Amino acid sequence: MGTSIKLDGSSKKQVLGAACIFMGLAHIMYLKQYLKGVVLAAFELIFIILSPTIYENIRKLFALNGNLANPSRVRLIDGLFYIIIVAIFLVAYYLSIRNALDSYVECCLDGRLKSQKESMSGIAGKAFPIFGLAPAFILIVFFVVLPLLFSMLAAFTSYSNKDMIRFKWVGFKNFADMFGGNASWTESFAGVAIWTVIWGLMATVTCYLGGMILATVLYGAKLKAVPVFRSILILPYAIPSLLTVSVWTFILKSSDIGIINKTLISLHIIDANSTIQFLSGSNSMARVMCILVNMWVGIPYFMLLITGQMTAISADVYEAASIDGASKFQVFKSITLPLVVYQTAPLIIMSFTHNINNFGAVYYLTGGGPNTNAATSAGGTDIFISWIYKISTDQGNYYMGSVLAIFVFAVLAPFAIWNFTRTKSFKEGEL
Amino acid sequence: MGGNMKNKSWVTAVYVVVLVIASIVTIYPLLYTISIAFSPGEEYNIGVVPFTQKVTETSFNENGKLQMRVATKFGFSTRHFQELFEYDGYLDWIKNTFIVAIGVVLITICVCTLTAYVFSRFKFPMKKGMMLTILILQIFPTFIGMQAVYEIVVRVGGYNHLWALVLIYGSGNVPYNTWLIKSYLDTIPMSLDEAARIDGANHFKIFGTIIMPMLKPMIVFLGITSFTGPWVDFIYPKLILKPDNTTLGPGLLQLLGTGSTESHFTLFAAGALLVAVPFILVFIFGQSAMVTGLGAGAVKE
Repeated sequence: MGTSIKLDGSSKKQVLGAACIFMGLAHIMYLKQYLKGVVLAAFELIFIILSPTIYENIRKLFALNGNLANPSRVRLIDGLFYIIIVAIFLVAYYLSIRNALDSYVECCLDGRLKSQKESMSGIAGKAFPIFGLAPAFILIVFFVVLPLLFSMLAAFTSYSNKDMIRFKWVGFKNFADMFGGNASWTESFAGVAIWTVIWGLMATVTCYLGGMILATVLYGAKLKAVPVFRSILILPYAIPSLLTVSVWTFILKSSDIGIINKTLISLHIIDANSTIQFLSGSNSMARVMCILVNMWVGIPYFMLLITGQMTAISADVYEAASIDGASKFQVFKSITLPLVVYQTAPLIIMSFTHNINNFGAVYYLTGGGPNTNAATSAGGTDIFISWIYKISTDQGNYYMGSVLAIFVFAVLAPFAIWNFTRTKSFKEGEL
Repeated sequence: MGGNMKNKSWVTAVYVVVLVIASIVTIYPLLYTISIAFSPGEEYNIGVVPFTQKVTETSFNENGKLQMRVATKFGFSTRHFQELFEYDGYLDWIKNTFIVAIGVVLITICVCTLTAYVFSRFKFPMKKGMMLTILILQIFPTFIGMQAVYEIVVRVGGYNHLWALVLIYGSGNVPYNTWLIKSYLDTIPMSLDEAARIDGANHFKIFGTIIMPMLKPMIVFLGITSFTGPWVDFIYPKLILKPDNTTLGPGLLQLLGTGSTESHFTLFAAGALLVAVPFILVFIFGQSAMVTGLGAGAVKE
């Protein structure tokens, strides 16, 4: 192909045009990057050959009229899969156009086209990010993104374990039911929403303060036994919470098997017939227990973290303070504490979002109960995430679980974005 | 704090009191679990004081009449551990979980470090969008989409296979840990890898010989945290493994009993103890790596 272009920047439109007409065309025609061009063109060719399949599957997703041979849930997944393929293709197309233009500009600056050898070595270097990201990309697309999108779409259908084959699109009906249309769902939603927020706040604040107190004490106490105490206090963080929280469930049992009730009975504080209903009585009692047990589980994390921050403070700072005659308390109040709080403050937000979704802390302890609503399966200590789980597994009511998942996503995503915008790399515009 | 500053004695006393109380609260439930695991009787016989249990003694009094009284006695036995090992499936749970955990560790370490390396050291289009996506994805437990995960696993022929579980857990680990490793790598100056690049090393070589060794504490951290997950999850094994070929999480919960099945808390305690002890040892020896890892998680200004 003897087509040549001017290397003074005036052929930009030609390059752009060729790149837009077919992937890789500009690379072959003008830039003499044959290998790259052929690979890109082959990519588009495969896409074109596959396009009837792609069209068919996406059409089925929109129609969603499942039958026994091709159930709706399969149509939903296949359709999403091909939509992702289309998205990847469009992005690749866009990138190939950009790449053609960038290479052209580069050649103009050099005043000559790159030799075959140069462009080959360029490919090896530039392709590394693609190879490096591919494994993570594939895993995340198949096992994280696709399932999440599936569950988001399910919110607009009648998908449940009773209707897995012929379910249809129902528009915003499920949302209407959840947010006002259906009294029992709306009531459960309001109850769970309020408790989820209170839970998130309380769980975070109690663990942070507890961790701060223990870290301060460990740091300040000049005792030989400090490492021993630290090792003991770290234990709840070391043992998986499924195990420890299940033990707490046993300890707090309402019958006289529960160790606390048993102890109180043997001390004659309570009567054997009137044991305390820690987890199975009133909602507020069970909620307080959730927060207390979560403190037991969660404080060591912050203790470890804050200890790390405290020891990271340079000794010079303390030396300067002691030369200035600061008392120990003053040093703590005006140096250690502000520095630690400053460093760990962002983690409080992250911990809040973590606690909002802290499935185990609630579900392992109470199973979401007590006083579970039979129609919606929302119990007194259910937070959104445990409620979603119960709606999906106990009730098989996938569409309502999905409505909640979308709601939680909409509420929590801004936190993630906020956290992103305050990272160093974002601020320095390095990305 | 500065070595020349000594605590007043009452301050030390307060510290000691706080530490002792916190330690007792921390250790009591654990101690109790141990005592239940080693108790000779069943859970309803457990005494109030750890390692004691109520026993009913029968004897004849002076008049030759049969007498029964309930006494609290010290007791110790390993019979629940024996029962546990004879329990149908227990050893399989351990074996399955171990295989899965090793797989997850390998996937997590390889994929996360490589991805983080690319994000930290390369410039490419749409990097910002990808980082943001990763950050948003990591706030969700992956089980929100579990129906779809089930479908996908069945489609790729992974139902009732351990490798499906490895892929699911591995993928779930990628977003958060990639972000973590990237933050850590960002703090390491690029001068070393640039020097190697000038010397003609390719990216794979730089990654393998320069980046990986520098990431050692983070790799320990990743290893510990990703090894943990499979031992305690019950959601996915329940979803994609048959009950007779499951992992430890659903197995132990099976011992706790659901509404319809009998509860064997003594067996659960013994099983939990056997799992917890290795975890505790790893954490005690890996404490410094844990602090490093948690510190890197604190994306600093």
